[in-house]
Amino acid sequence: MKEIRINIFELIASHAAVSTTDGENLYERIKKAFDSKIKVILDFNNIELITSTFLNSSVGKLYGQYDLDFIREHLSVDNLSDDDLVLLKKVVDRAKEYFKEREKIDRAIEKALGEDDEDK
Amino acid sequence: MNKFIFPATIKSDNNGYKCFIELYQLTKEMIFDELILDFNKTSWFDANLLAILGSILNKVQSGLNDIQITNLKPHVSKVFSKNHFLSNFGGEKIEDYYGTTIKYKRFKSSEEKLFKVYLDNELLSKKALPKMTSALRKKINESIFEIFNNTIIHGNSKDIFSCGQYYPSDMRLDFTIVDLGKTIKGNVSRYLQKKFSGSEAIEWAIEEGNTTKTGDTPGGLGLSLIRSFLELNGGKIQILSADGYWYQRKDKSKSLVFDQRFDGTIVNLEFNINDQNEYCLASELKPEEIF
Repeated sequence: MKEIRINIFELIASHAAVSTTDGENLYERIKKAFDSKIKVILDFNNIELITSTFLNSSVGKLYGQYDLDFIREHLSVDNLSDDDLVLLKKVVDRAKEYFKEREKIDRAIEKALGEDDEDK
Repeated sequence: MNKFIFPATIKSDNNGYKCFIELYQLTKEMIFDELILDFNKTSWFDANLLAILGSILNKVQSGLNDIQITNLKPHVSKVFSKNHFLSNFGGEKIEDYYGTTIKYKRFKSSEEKLFKVYLDNELLSKKALPKMTSALRKKINESIFEIFNNTIIHGNSKDIFSCGQYYPSDMRLDFTIVDLGKTIKGNVSRYLQKKFSGSEAIEWAIEEGNTTKTGDTPGGLGLSLIRSFLELNGGKIQILSADGYWYQRKDKSKSLVFDQRFDGTIVNLEFNINDQNEYCLASELKPEEIF
């Protein structure tokens, strides 16, 4: 499989991966690669500070677009410290839950709308 | 003309926050008027709380009102000048030789990068701060950023105000962030379509996994990460939004509802600087097990 390495430090021009905007830029990059079935390696070399907000808007958001197996096959990380790995894992687990909940809500809305239609 | 007399001490506690709610209520409808802030009685003012005063005075200024800050005792005035608060309201700036202040600043919600520079300059290079482990520095920075980002995402406010102070005798660092945007009570009540008191809404919002976000970006982690860190650190987090107030000191938390409301959100983080914990969890996590 073809793969690309995204150097976060070069992408955001900072040691701190803390903003939603930077996270969204990273998400767009990953999405472009994923849509061409290219594997992405996120390289966190030189990144000293990471927030959950950055990870939510870059990696977490992927779980609303791609299925779990596809992400597992097409995404990996490199040069991430142990405590930031723990943070990333929390963000990923939370994202899975978030989109599962959202699916349930969407289904409930669809069902409610469907019932409305039947009433008409 | 409205006159507000500050009490003898203003600290980061219930009474201190109540005092700012009163000032907010007194001034919120003012237009083309004059506000006199009288500090004659005041001998102690936690400087980090100037973020709250700044947010209120900024609103007063936007109503084209005149503001007079009077009777500041010399030692209080000195702190207000050192952290550049007074220079925003017609006063002077003075050099902070001991480096214990973290300057009062107002940010636009789009200025995340400037906020980072501000933290680098004000927090990381402080000569007065004792040697901290790199893990502690990192955790302090992360916590402050999580709050700043939360404010942008949930407060939907144009302006964000911040100020901090290092208190060497207590080995604590307080950092306060304020916005006059949507309140937690409003956001949670809207999201859950149920009426909540201000403190019930905060209690819901601080639980891991709870978020009022509805879009395609997940959330609901930031505050719980800060809570777990501050529990280990022996620090404190205080949140005031609308009429609700909630705080956690070490592993104990408490909440209350005020009689009046503040139309915005105040978050104060207090860090124990004398902390040798490593914070790097002994993790067996392998990168390939993340996704």
